[in-house]
Amino acid sequence: MIRGAMMREPLAAGSESAEAIAAKVDASLFVPADFDANAAERGGYSDYSYWRSTMRGFLKNRVALGFLLLLGALLLFTFVQPLLPGQKSPTHIHIDPATGMQYRNVAPGAEFWFGTNTIGQDLWARIWGGTRTSLMLGLLVGVAEMLIGITFGAIWGYVRRLDGVITEIYNVINNIPTTIVLMLLAYILRPSFKTMVIAMCATGWLGLARFVRNQIVIIRDREYNLASRCLGTPSRRIIVKNLLPYLVSVIMLQTALSIPGTIGWEVFLTYIGLGLPVSIPSLGNLVNEGRQIMMSPELRYQLLFPTIILSLITISFYVLGNAFSDASDPRNHV
Amino acid sequence: MSGESREVVLELRDLEVAFKVKGGGTFKAVKGVNFCIYKGETFGLVGESGSGKTSIGRAIVRINDASSGSILYKGRRIDGRIPKELDLEVVRKIQMIFQDPMASLNERAKVDYIVSEGLYNIGVKRSEEERRELVAKALLEVGLLPEFASRFPHEFSGGQRQRIGIARALIMEPELIVADEPISALDVSIRAQVLNLLSSIQKAKGLTYLFIAHDLSVVRFITDRIAVISKGRIVELAETEELFRHPLHPYTRALISAIPQPDPLAERRKVVKVYDPACHDYSVEGPAWSDVGGGHFVLANSKELEAYREGLAAGRL
Amino acid sequence: MAKGDAILEAKDIVIKFNLRGRTLTAIRGAGLRLNEGETLAIVGESGSGKSVLTKSFIGMLDQNGWVDSGEAVFEGRNLAAIKDEKDWLAIRGKKISMVFQDPMTALNPLLTVGAQIKEVFELHHGLSGKQADHAVVEMLERVGIDNPSERRKQYPHEFSGGMRQRVVIAIAVACKPRILICDEPTTALDVTIQAQILDLIKALQRDLAFTTVYITHDLGVVANVADKVAVMYAGQIVETGSAEEVFYDSRHPYTWALLSSLPQLGVKGQPLYSISGTPPNLFNTVVGDAFAPRNPKALKVDFAAQPPMFQVSPTHSAATWLLDPRAPAMEPPPAILAMRAKLGGAKLGGAKLGDAAKNGGAL
Repeated sequence: MIRGAMMREPLAAGSESAEAIAAKVDASLFVPADFDANAAERGGYSDYSYWRSTMRGFLKNRVALGFLLLLGALLLFTFVQPLLPGQKSPTHIHIDPATGMQYRNVAPGAEFWFGTNTIGQDLWARIWGGTRTSLMLGLLVGVAEMLIGITFGAIWGYVRRLDGVITEIYNVINNIPTTIVLMLLAYILRPSFKTMVIAMCATGWLGLARFVRNQIVIIRDREYNLASRCLGTPSRRIIVKNLLPYLVSVIMLQTALSIPGTIGWEVFLTYIGLGLPVSIPSLGNLVNEGRQIMMSPELRYQLLFPTIILSLITISFYVLGNAFSDASDPRNHV
Repeated sequence: MSGESREVVLELRDLEVAFKVKGGGTFKAVKGVNFCIYKGETFGLVGESGSGKTSIGRAIVRINDASSGSILYKGRRIDGRIPKELDLEVVRKIQMIFQDPMASLNERAKVDYIVSEGLYNIGVKRSEEERRELVAKALLEVGLLPEFASRFPHEFSGGQRQRIGIARALIMEPELIVADEPISALDVSIRAQVLNLLSSIQKAKGLTYLFIAHDLSVVRFITDRIAVISKGRIVELAETEELFRHPLHPYTRALISAIPQPDPLAERRKVVKVYDPACHDYSVEGPAWSDVGGGHFVLANSKELEAYREGLAAGRL
Repeated sequence: MAKGDAILEAKDIVIKFNLRGRTLTAIRGAGLRLNEGETLAIVGESGSGKSVLTKSFIGMLDQNGWVDSGEAVFEGRNLAAIKDEKDWLAIRGKKISMVFQDPMTALNPLLTVGAQIKEVFELHHGLSGKQADHAVVEMLERVGIDNPSERRKQYPHEFSGGMRQRVVIAIAVACKPRILICDEPTTALDVTIQAQILDLIKALQRDLAFTTVYITHDLGVVANVADKVAVMYAGQIVETGSAEEVFYDSRHPYTWALLSSLPQLGVKGQPLYSISGTPPNLFNTVVGDAFAPRNPKALKVDFAAQPPMFQVSPTHSAATWLLDPRAPAMEPPPAILAMRAKLGGAKLGGAKLGDAAKNGGAL
């Protein structure tokens, strides 16, 4: 009956004989042990929580943490800076009392830490004022785009009846070049911070909405969503409880990247003359002013300082976005 | 047998489920399906992948629309547009257990929410405390500890996750549960747990099951009656042991002959029959859903039917 | 080499994985012996390590995994010591090939089926042009694909699941391997197709004389194909023997539980034997018998010391303290007794469980 019975060798081979191993074991142990069915059921409980794991993963990323601190410090400082003693107004034109002339293009020094610009304004104060404006603009637009983009994207992706209609609306808006929309809005409304926010939000949400929609189409028919439908859960709650939590990581990445994008747009709009009024310092205004005189080597500091800040902000958001996206991706959780 | 005296919970009449295919046209996943499920029984629906068995289950819980025919729950039509109260009742009374416990639980929600999700939707106001008690009770019923409510699905093994899925259906106090391959994604050592659980809840609560599966050995163990489906059509329906003793349709016979047995001697003797659709001659007369007696139905034309009846009488089939 | 000689012999294999700074011991000292021409089936649930163990024989462990200790000798060479990818190329796909569960992922969707098989002939047999084409057609015919000269020009998506698996098998055996490892080859297929694929592999094995290793959780498949069976649990082989010995005269409580939980062996209307709990977390060190926490009839010793492989017969051994002479006699579950009866209990398992161990030779 037993095939291959001619072989003496066992299939599995150990280095020590079973008897030798068994001899080491106390005979008194050969009695039934207590059995706790619940213990078997409890299994390997590891106290996992999605958000806690995300935070832990994020905090482990030292580089990202450094950039987060930097960004926080930057933002905080833009608000604290005007309150510090001995600070100058970013818009005040400084006049040399001796000559009655403006302090034009004064190189960085003890009086003007970052020097002055072509009309005698203090660059140190302007840079912090400008950073404040640009960061606020970026954050505000980022949050607004996120809210609008997610709302539209979720409805677009989940409610099948509306798919066709929203796709058409998207196609229409998306086919008008963004620059034209921005220009039109900037002409219709007076240039101001508010105009800028509205103009950028008007088209900025489209990309995110499309992105969210595609993601939702991918996951909407997974079994756990079908299960929720069987339980009669309304679409709104399925979107909020079942779908969006799965997209946190990708949405956060998109939003984080859109913030430096917005600041970049602001620089560009200022460059083509549609940005914030000159009276409001912003990184866009500063870079634009610096650009005009960048051909004279001794004045390059006027371009250099705002560019450094702009780069820091861009890199920070980029690193943060990626770090958070990695940390919040459950595939990276153990 | 005494089918008429038993209460019909669910009835399918000429059910057809069609899907739109890219580039126009439709694909009929389910064609002209008729059967009814009696109260308290376990009705098995067996077929290979792509046979349309899952589409039937999903049409019953209204995830898929029926493109033609009707679905009746206790005599009332539940497919298509139905009044709000009936909708609420159907949501409660017909629940589903899904195939893949790894995919059928929301990973971002705690077990507490997953199990009580349905309670939020049936329009009964409950205090937070009552809700928690119900969750604890449902978890205990499926052999899980109430303390698991505060955990995420991620924590649990496949078998435990499937039991969470069962608890989520049970909390609705359903009458009919559509179980779509509830154990095929589970590890062998876990399957028995879940099968036992399904049986014991059925006994305790008088539930009715529609058990959808591809594995005939499991279906034989758990069901009272079986319908065999192939390419969207039901080819044979009979009481479980009757079907195994006297399979009539060649497809059923092929399926039964292929069941793997955990028995080397039997496996080595096994002869697998191959089903060739060309063995039917439907050029003159197409097949019809016919009763061979004793609640044994088969899809056949009159010539085949006669052969089946003769075979049965002579003890050949 | 003659039939029955060892072709692959693995001893005390330990395989570890590094997952985010934590070490998981996937294989905790497993050994097996594969004889020329036979069919070995490795059975276990997911996470038992059955795939990991065999993947280590063809150098296909994931990047974060490594063979920590132990040896696997194939043709006089220790596979466990091979580090260089170049050395693996001489073995993988040439001497040892593998068939995976999902035929779709194993095939390149952008190449015709013929081109993918041809590649093997060009690479391993130095055939080219018409000769290679001819070999491809012959191979496709051999694995049961109708009209091979036309079908070889088709792409994988034009094939059904069963036909795709045939193509994968054709690729795997085209290089005339000495060992064919089939990892759940029929899990994704319907039962009727499953039987055909198993028959195909058996026929090819007869014609091409290779040795087959099946990795599966399906005891029906095992019963159909295996000469020898190894049952794995938590990274160890807990019982091994001929198919008859393991199915009709199993000794390890895990094997008992696995077999008696099958609905095929159950009695309708009565609850099936079921195993509570889950396999141990292999991030932690396992003390004693890994199955003990799930075994309602575990002995105290099961929690204290790891059982050695006790010999039941020259070909049959199991790692359970129940085989120690000092252990109390333990009645297996009814389904196991029924299986014993099937083969005439007197022939194989008539004696008290403990007796067999006394007769067992050194391991």
